Amino acid sequence: MGDTRQRILEATYACVARWGLAKTSVEDAAREAKVSRATVYRTFPGGRDELISAVVAWATLEFFIELYEQVQGAESLEQVMERGIMFAHRSIVEHEVLQRVMQTEPEKLLPTLTFESIRIRQGIAEFLVPFLEQRGLAPGVDLREAADFLARMVLSYMSAPGRWDLEDPVQVAQLVRAELLAGVVAGPGPDAPLPPGSTGPGG
Amino acid sequence: MHTRGSAFQVVVDGVVDGVVDRVVDSVADGAVDAVSPATAPGSPRRVRIIDATLDCLARHGTTKTTVDDIARQAGVSRATVYRVFPGGRDEILAAVVDTEMARLFSALGVRLGEAGDLTEALVGGIVEASTRLRNHAALAYLVEHEPEMVLGHLAFDESDRLLVAASHFTAPFLARWMSPREAERVTEWATRIVLSYAIAPSDRMDLTEPSQTAHLVTTFVLPGIRSLHDAGTPTVIDITPFGSPQALSDPPALSAPGSSTDQHPSTDQHPSTDQHLYVHSTATALSKGAMP
Repeated sequence: MGDTRQRILEATYACVARWGLAKTSVEDAAREAKVSRATVYRTFPGGRDELISAVVAWATLEFFIELYEQVQGAESLEQVMERGIMFAHRSIVEHEVLQRVMQTEPEKLLPTLTFESIRIRQGIAEFLVPFLEQRGLAPGVDLREAADFLARMVLSYMSAPGRWDLEDPVQVAQLVRAELLAGVVAGPGPDAPLPPGSTGPGG
Repeated sequence: MHTRGSAFQVVVDGVVDGVVDRVVDSVADGAVDAVSPATAPGSPRRVRIIDATLDCLARHGTTKTTVDDIARQAGVSRATVYRVFPGGRDEILAAVVDTEMARLFSALGVRLGEAGDLTEALVGGIVEASTRLRNHAALAYLVEHEPEMVLGHLAFDESDRLLVAASHFTAPFLARWMSPREAERVTEWATRIVLSYAIAPSDRMDLTEPSQTAHLVTTFVLPGIRSLHDAGTPTVIDITPFGSPQALSDPPALSAPGSSTDQHPSTDQHPSTDQHLYVHSTATALSKGAMP
């Protein structure tokens, strides 16, 4: 059952990559997955709408599994956030399917993606909690509140960099240490000093 | 109307840019009042039609609101509506976005202008924007029933545009306390905060509540501003808004302990009671090159 679901989702994703969200039908997904229409409906009783929501959720999860793997082995909270933000930003910019759908049919994607982002935010916050505990919080900072705030900011920057150049490690280091962590953590960490010559965004 | 290519969407895209430019221009000219509803281009009749449209949108959204509905709600004839807005429905809807953005920015300008210190400016600005977004009946209806109308402006590249525009407009109001470049970073950051909590409200942090917003600002934002500043921005910052003169003599309150003295030797030349913090360092020299 799990295999069938996975196979249908991968097939649906391939269809979306080719034709977009609006033009992908249950028939297309079934043909691509080499299963019957009935199997698709058995797996996704809500039909096309459920299938499309599920594929957005699935692709989002895949993205965050990859992100999770990227930050594995990071040695500090600072490093986790720097690597995570840089990787996530690059992945979004280079994500062909996401970029194409955002160009041509954002209205089909955004409601689901916005809904998904709540789960994503909770996931990022959960992930950061042990790093925050290990790092030590500034006096008076609530662990859950700080994790939620950081997750919100990470999501904001990875999807819209604003004035920041998130391909520049020096700027990302400054962003993480100043806007993200300055009020959250206790004192500078082992690698906390800002790189000299940080110019920040804009310029 | 559900497709991105609809006339309304196109008009909205243009207007969001246009109105921001106009508001920014009038602020640059020292004429914030020029964009307030009372003196906005056009007559009270125009404003009446716009407000009537807002009422219609709050009940039926964009797809089910007709020019007849708007005329009836405004208590004017259909012909009058077309005299004021020859382009009909799409022109009215664009004018609504235009007017609502101008109202939001005007209100923000007033709040930021009144603020006595940086903390007050940040808290006041965030509360004002959050409250206006929360209480906006037409916006609430669209988020609920036509989310694609709203979300397009809040995601990826469009969100970038909004962040830059909103921060560009609000930054001059923080010029009393920091350099223009720092002010743009800080207002961009504040805009992110407002948008994040507006799109996905938190049960532990209500940014329409001044006390909770003050907690967020003092806990997360002010230390970040100090840290950004210490990273080397070539300006004189008035640091009184960060707290009492006594607080300034406490190095951790102003910058990360340890390396700051080495990085910014000139801070030692000024007594901590001095209201201005002069930062000159290698980082400063480098970042000067990057200044616009």
